[in-house]
Amino acid sequence: MSETGFFTDTTLCIGCKACEVACKQWNELPSDGFAFTGESYDNTSQLSGTTWRHVAFVEQVAVDPAAASPIVEKWLMMSDVCKHCTNAGCHEACPTGAIVKNEFGNVFVQPDVCNGCGYCVVSCPFGVIDLVDPIDADRKYAVANLNEARRDNNQTAIQNNGGVAGKCTLCYDRQKIGETPACAKACPTESIQFGDLLELRERANARVETLIARGIDAQLYGAEDIGGGIGPLNAFFLLTDRPEVYNLPVAPVLPSTRQPAGYAAAAGTALALAVAGWAIFRSR
Amino acid sequence: MNPDYYGRPVLKAPQWGTSVVAYLFLGGVTGGLGIIAALADPKDESGRKLRKTARYTALAVAAANPAILISHLGRPERFLHMLRTFKPGSPMSLGVWGLLAYSATAAATTVLEDGRLTVLQALLGAYLTGYTGVLLSATAVPLWSAGKVHVPAASVCSSVASACALASAISCLTGNSEALRKLERFELVATAGEVAVLVHFSLTGGPRVGRFASRVAAPLALALVGNLVHVPKKHERLRTLLTSALTMTAGYLFRKALIAEGIASTKDPGAGFRQPE
Repeated sequence: MSETGFFTDTTLCIGCKACEVACKQWNELPSDGFAFTGESYDNTSQLSGTTWRHVAFVEQVAVDPAAASPIVEKWLMMSDVCKHCTNAGCHEACPTGAIVKNEFGNVFVQPDVCNGCGYCVVSCPFGVIDLVDPIDADRKYAVANLNEARRDNNQTAIQNNGGVAGKCTLCYDRQKIGETPACAKACPTESIQFGDLLELRERANARVETLIARGIDAQLYGAEDIGGGIGPLNAFFLLTDRPEVYNLPVAPVLPSTRQPAGYAAAAGTALALAVAGWAIFRSR
Repeated sequence: MNPDYYGRPVLKAPQWGTSVVAYLFLGGVTGGLGIIAALADPKDESGRKLRKTARYTALAVAAANPAILISHLGRPERFLHMLRTFKPGSPMSLGVWGLLAYSATAAATTVLEDGRLTVLQALLGAYLTGYTGVLLSATAVPLWSAGKVHVPAASVCSSVASACALASAISCLTGNSEALRKLERFELVATAGEVAVLVHFSLTGGPRVGRFASRVAAPLALALVGNLVHVPKKHERLRTLLTSALTMTAGYLFRKALIAEGIASTKDPGAGFRQPE
């Protein structure tokens, strides 16, 4: 089976947050609280263990002292999501095997296997996956109420018990029954496109060409190898500004690439100490 | 124009607290004691006594470790899920198996007093002193990832120094002065090594590393002084015990500062934009 993914075209995003709502609804994810941040229209702030889509609003104004009113310099929106890396830091770090690559090539956390050690959280170069706090019993959802596909995945009810890591599943349950993931389904402008990865990449390249022809400085983020050992992203983006503007790392690195140097340093130090220790303890 | 997104960090902060700090410290101590048990000379009385001290202490500390490790999990009742797979590419998975293998070997050595098992315990012990450093540096956390060589090397030194300090204190109290003299010299070498690694890390790692290192500088410097200073014979016992306490405090604070400043570094907006190779 070919791999699936998301192509999020930020030039089409209108900031309606239908993706956020659809994701919360379908996956039965609890609220992260309610706060007005004053950061443009973004009161979600970031992805979390229970927020798997996050619409970023880049509203930056440059004040021109000569002009009567501030001039809006940037007005960008982007629906952020787990990148579903080819080589995923969380997947490599997971000590229980709870995090797997499924048959669609997506990174999936099996919530009934995860024991909440938190090592995936620090191993994600994109700051996506996070631990879910234990959730009160009265907010748990009954497994009996879930449809068959979701019960088979043991996906949502256990997720909501908390104490485990959570992130976008790329709607594994919906994909299994041939449905489009909730966010892509709900997106009214096709800013979020779901489909076969190769087809999505072709479509994205064509879109970039069109935009450049119209004089828009468009670029893809993660459609090809993003570097640092991570490879291409199954959820990639079309951006019209530098990645940092959208709070995306410009040079992410797969953490495990540092292991050989680390083990070599530890072994070298231990050997040096052992030699010194031998001289101290075994000298006559 | 803002260089970042409303000052929001790119990365997620580790949700690791005191139990992880305690595990990192005690895991290193038990591993270091395994090394000391193998180094102790079985040909003389004091060496045999030291070997016994190191073995029993290593076993006691190793026995306490799993409880601490389990207590930090979001779902402690699922600890055994760690054992449903073996992933050498995950320092956390390899570490759990390493800890189990070490504990089993430590128990076997204590009972059987076998020479080959002693060497195996020392090798596994060396792994325990260093793997936690690799576990931290092979993450996206800015402070830890900046020290892919320094953090593991300093972890080994710190663990060995703390193990020496614990064995010193016990040897002092049990009157094994010959072993005590050697342990203190070994402790001095390990502490000096740790200081050298941390100084180099601070000089190359920027202000964030400087902040971290400044939190361990005082106890480390005092421990060094305690190891080097000469005092009248009647105060020798006090000096030994104080120095041991200082070295172990430095070892604990090294891990504590590493975790605390590591968490702080993830909250630094823009710190995750360009990640170290």
